[in-house]
Amino acid sequence: MKQAQTNAPAAIRGRSAWSAAWESWRQVMQDSFAVVGVAILLIFVVIALTAPYLAPFDPFKAMMTETGRLARLRPPSGEHLLGTTAFGNDVLSQFLHGFRVALLVGLVAAIAVGFISTLFGVLSGYFGGWVDDVLMRITDVALSIPTLPFSIVAVALLGPSIENIILVITVLFWRNGARIIRSAVLTERERVYVKWARAAGASHFHIIMRHILPNIIRVVFLWVTMSVAFAVLTEASLSFLGLGDPTVISWGQMLNTAFSSGNLRTAWWWVVPPSVALVMLVSALYLIGRAYEEQTNPRLRRR
Amino acid sequence: MRAYIIRRLAQSVLVVWAVTTIMFFMFRVMPADPTAILLERGLTDEARQALLEQWGLTGSLWDQYVAYLANLLTGDFGSSFLYRKPVWEVLTPLIINTLWIAVPGLLLGAALGAAIGTAVGWAKRGGKLERSGIFLATIIRGVPNFVIGIALLTIFSSTLGWFPGFGMGDPGETTGFARYMTLDFLHHLALPLIAVIIYFMPENLLLMRSGVVENRTEDYIELVRAKGVPQRRVAWHAARNSMLPLITWLFPALAETIAGIVVIEIVFSWPGVGRELVLAVTRQDYPVAQAAFFLLAVMIVIANLAADLVYGKLDPRVVYK
Repeated sequence: MKQAQTNAPAAIRGRSAWSAAWESWRQVMQDSFAVVGVAILLIFVVIALTAPYLAPFDPFKAMMTETGRLARLRPPSGEHLLGTTAFGNDVLSQFLHGFRVALLVGLVAAIAVGFISTLFGVLSGYFGGWVDDVLMRITDVALSIPTLPFSIVAVALLGPSIENIILVITVLFWRNGARIIRSAVLTERERVYVKWARAAGASHFHIIMRHILPNIIRVVFLWVTMSVAFAVLTEASLSFLGLGDPTVISWGQMLNTAFSSGNLRTAWWWVVPPSVALVMLVSALYLIGRAYEEQTNPRLRRR
Repeated sequence: MRAYIIRRLAQSVLVVWAVTTIMFFMFRVMPADPTAILLERGLTDEARQALLEQWGLTGSLWDQYVAYLANLLTGDFGSSFLYRKPVWEVLTPLIINTLWIAVPGLLLGAALGAAIGTAVGWAKRGGKLERSGIFLATIIRGVPNFVIGIALLTIFSSTLGWFPGFGMGDPGETTGFARYMTLDFLHHLALPLIAVIIYFMPENLLLMRSGVVENRTEDYIELVRAKGVPQRRVAWHAARNSMLPLITWLFPALAETIAGIVVIEIVFSWPGVGRELVLAVTRQDYPVAQAAFFLLAVMIVIANLAADLVYGKLDPRVVYK
């Protein structure tokens, strides 16, 4: 069989999804905005991985002054580079730990949403029939669920923990991806080369893995990038609303504490770092997503 | 056409039913006892039982579910645990408050986004205007809405003192619609409204730009140009045809924006449905939370339905089956 496959004409052999992914990645790297996005993302990943070593203090520890009083709202100094919070916590340490939560949420959402959306989208688009019917009815309902209100209710009911937040995000965002991937599969399925491959006796598995998947991989990447951005935003919004996991430090939570303790105006050193980091992370993802978008829509390309 | 509308309506009703059911079971399966919040007010066991019955929280889950659906059909959302009055009485004024920032914010954001988007889409490919337009729009799109709110609040309210940053202002003597026609109200409205506009604009801008870029190389544009029509008018031709996807996207976006301004309402303490939803959830006032969520879901379903119908009106190529 292996022999037969290598001898088969290229049109029937297809290509692997990996090579298609690599090719699409190289195209994205031609886009200077996307390069900026990837650079930001890389820096963020490095900071997230090394955060425990970079952070000078325990983010939950209340700092004391020499006189034994709580070091409240200290502006940036040599000792506390980004000052302290109203509760005497070191802002820099909290800020650095925030990288971990944001990227963890993004990473898990990317894997979960990418896998579920692709699986359902491909099955539904390729096989059609009742699988497709059931799936489309489910997404019909799922698409009329208001995302943020649903997450607020669900996280409040399930209990505010990082696991529940990730669960809710996954439940919410697989649906759009599945729809988009399904329609991409629908167009691919009708292409001549799929019919040839089938006529030549290729199995469904072979056709999906080597013909359909390589051609829709850009749509999958586009959707995964967008899902990561939505996931980061949703976690930040929930934490800002006071529904974050109290046992970890996230940027949304830092802003929530600054906001609810009424220190937005005075303690700029407490507010600016998490805000800027959130904007940079989400924008970086959108910049990469945009490059995939231009690829998946050939009419947007320069002519 | 009529058959299509009927089928689409039936489908929408089905979706609303499904969302309601999901919500109902989510709220009932929770371990928390809603009367627990009333215990500190010294409630006797009998009184507690009476309250449970009044709220429809006795009997099997199935009985409760049937009773809940029956009540919904008659427009009865039950009564708030906290305010001790009917839920619709609590929510009606809040819906109006939410619409006050949502609808103008959405329309202005869309108009502004469409105008700038046309300019960016019509600009030279790879030129300065196009590149900076796309870059800025993408960055602004990445700003979480509470960060927009915090920035506006800190700059224009706390530091410059130009606008109030809290609530809707003093209602004073006036009631009814006159309450919304005071300078004080508009003064309070400004910052949350600007926040919604900034939050909503970039998406429109990018969508419009893609549409114009797609359309500008079409043959009909060449034809218009060949007729000697000035550049500006040619751009308008492309813009008009790019509005189609924008408009269909607007309706569902309206619903999602109403949902998304929960956070903006919180930042500016604007008494709207979204803020009440968050407060109700944290106070365990479930009838209010359930109804607020239901309202938001219904808005999305109606918006999607409207989008489908409007699309058919605007695009003669769409055939209803």
